[in-house]
Amino acid sequence: MIRDSKTPYWLVGITGLVFILLYGPIFVPIASSFFALKQGVVDWQQPTASAYVTLVSNEGILVALRNTLVVGGAAVVCSLILGIASALYVNSGRSKDRALLQFIIFLPFLMPPIITGLALLIYFREIEFDRSLVTVIIGHTVFVLALVYRTLLVRLQSLSRSLVEASYDLGASGWQTFRYVLLPNLTSAMIGAGILAFALSFDETMITLLVTGTDNTLPIRLWAMMRLGFTPDINALVAVILAFTTLLCLLAARYLMPRES
Amino acid sequence: MTTERLLLELKAVSKSFGQTEVLQRIDLAVRDGEFITILGPSGSGKTTILRMIGGFESPSSGEILLDGADISALPINKRPFNTVFQDYALFPHMTVAANVGYGLKVRGVKNAEIETRVGEALQLVALRDFAGRFPAQLSGGQRQRVALARAIICRPRLILLDEPLAALDVELRRQMQSFLKDIQREIKTTFLFVTHDQEEAIAMADRICVMNSGHIQQLGSAHEVYYRPASEFVARFFGDNNLVEGRLGPSSGDRRRIETPLGALVCAIDGQPHLAAAPEGAAAYAVFRPEALSLASTGSSEENRAHGLVTGLHFAGAHTLTSIRAGGHEPVNLRLRLPSKVEGVALRAGEAADLYWRPSECRLVLK
Repeated sequence: MIRDSKTPYWLVGITGLVFILLYGPIFVPIASSFFALKQGVVDWQQPTASAYVTLVSNEGILVALRNTLVVGGAAVVCSLILGIASALYVNSGRSKDRALLQFIIFLPFLMPPIITGLALLIYFREIEFDRSLVTVIIGHTVFVLALVYRTLLVRLQSLSRSLVEASYDLGASGWQTFRYVLLPNLTSAMIGAGILAFALSFDETMITLLVTGTDNTLPIRLWAMMRLGFTPDINALVAVILAFTTLLCLLAARYLMPRES
Repeated sequence: MTTERLLLELKAVSKSFGQTEVLQRIDLAVRDGEFITILGPSGSGKTTILRMIGGFESPSSGEILLDGADISALPINKRPFNTVFQDYALFPHMTVAANVGYGLKVRGVKNAEIETRVGEALQLVALRDFAGRFPAQLSGGQRQRVALARAIICRPRLILLDEPLAALDVELRRQMQSFLKDIQREIKTTFLFVTHDQEEAIAMADRICVMNSGHIQQLGSAHEVYYRPASEFVARFFGDNNLVEGRLGPSSGDRRRIETPLGALVCAIDGQPHLAAAPEGAAAYAVFRPEALSLASTGSSEENRAHGLVTGLHFAGAHTLTSIRAGGHEPVNLRLRLPSKVEGVALRAGEAADLYWRPSECRLVLK
């Protein structure tokens, strides 16, 4: 840990301890996924990749992975379209209904997921909408929309209002202004928000559990596997999900951080 | 290339934002081909006028006429005007050429023609070699010129400029002032220029419209606004004017007397019939510029004279501004602008001074 002369030792010590206690456990399953398991105990003497071999040969897990990617991709597309539309609307003026819309979009993100999930479940049952991957996609879109919307709104607000005025002033229509002026300036925010939304969707469990039909996503599959007993491929699956989510977050940060000009 | 033909007319235009009335029944006529400047302190409503002409705001009441037809309801993108924004509003993701060509592109002009006209426009603002650069790679003055090229390429009837030089440093601002003036002469298009800078307005405009708190205070040539102020506000707005309060006396022809603590002063009132008509005894100010005052040799027979003590000298380069306390038991502070000399000006602090100024350089404004 880097320590400059002004940082006292005790502060470095506490920070280090917090780091190890809170974040250390995350690395245990990753490490142990590369070792053999004997009678439920990790044998640190025997490095092996067998857990990963089991994982990729497991048909159920591959199907779950495919479902996860389909749900994530669809939720990203839906939330981006809805996010742009609502961010443009909210940014175009100031009124009570705009404030209300903003609040409603944030609600599912702030509420416990179990409430969102239950609400959706009851709603789908009331309108007799069969539970499937489609309902999972709807659930995930509702959940990640707040994040996508917020990211796009912040980018929109950072653009000078006179850019839009200049476009109209030069004779452009509303659509041309969106297509040639706003959209190009939103691209990096859209990519960043899309990746973050995908990462959120990728390991979303609670809402999925409630609104899915017979289809499994990766986290649901993991959940089901754990109930049957602790097997080496669980460690491997946790490691894979963790690595993938981290990668997505790093990517998103690259697009969302303000660039040095 | 000013003609008397009117291009644009504002008729009794008012604008309120919520409870705040920022413009009150404005009447303004813009002549075809002129360089008109709207000058006023911040909050005077000058930018609101520009934004209503551009279509960015709509008037709360009143009419805006283009060639005699009301355009109040016409959307921004249908008005034959283009704007140079205060922050330039260049599209950051487009090259200089794409920025300048934008107005043609959205109108569906053919690529080959866009290329030719962008070349011409960039030639005009001396930025031909910068076509492939992005706005972030340009200096403030260059961005300003790109914004201008982008505004003129669509050949608008009127170009609106919203304090476009405010962000530039002094030297660059001077250059851009004469540059804008030259361009305006060359393309023979009407310019409506908004600024809060008196010197800038005087240096550039054919006509100046002085605004204060939602009203037009005076509309006239730079010379008129400077030497023949129509109100106390205008008189105080330009530089270190001397204003001496008094009561109007009798008039004779183009002259009118005013009784002040300095004695009776004779002021010119030609071209201002309302001053000839004002009743005797009405409160008014005699207004004369610091550069109009001269040091009198004893025995001079000028009509407007004052005697006082020098209270301060402020060296300001080419000129030295001198404060003089004049008059008897009701002393009046006068300011006198003298050309600076290496050995110092003719006066020193504490000395007595005799001053005079010609009636033709002394005007009246009603209180």
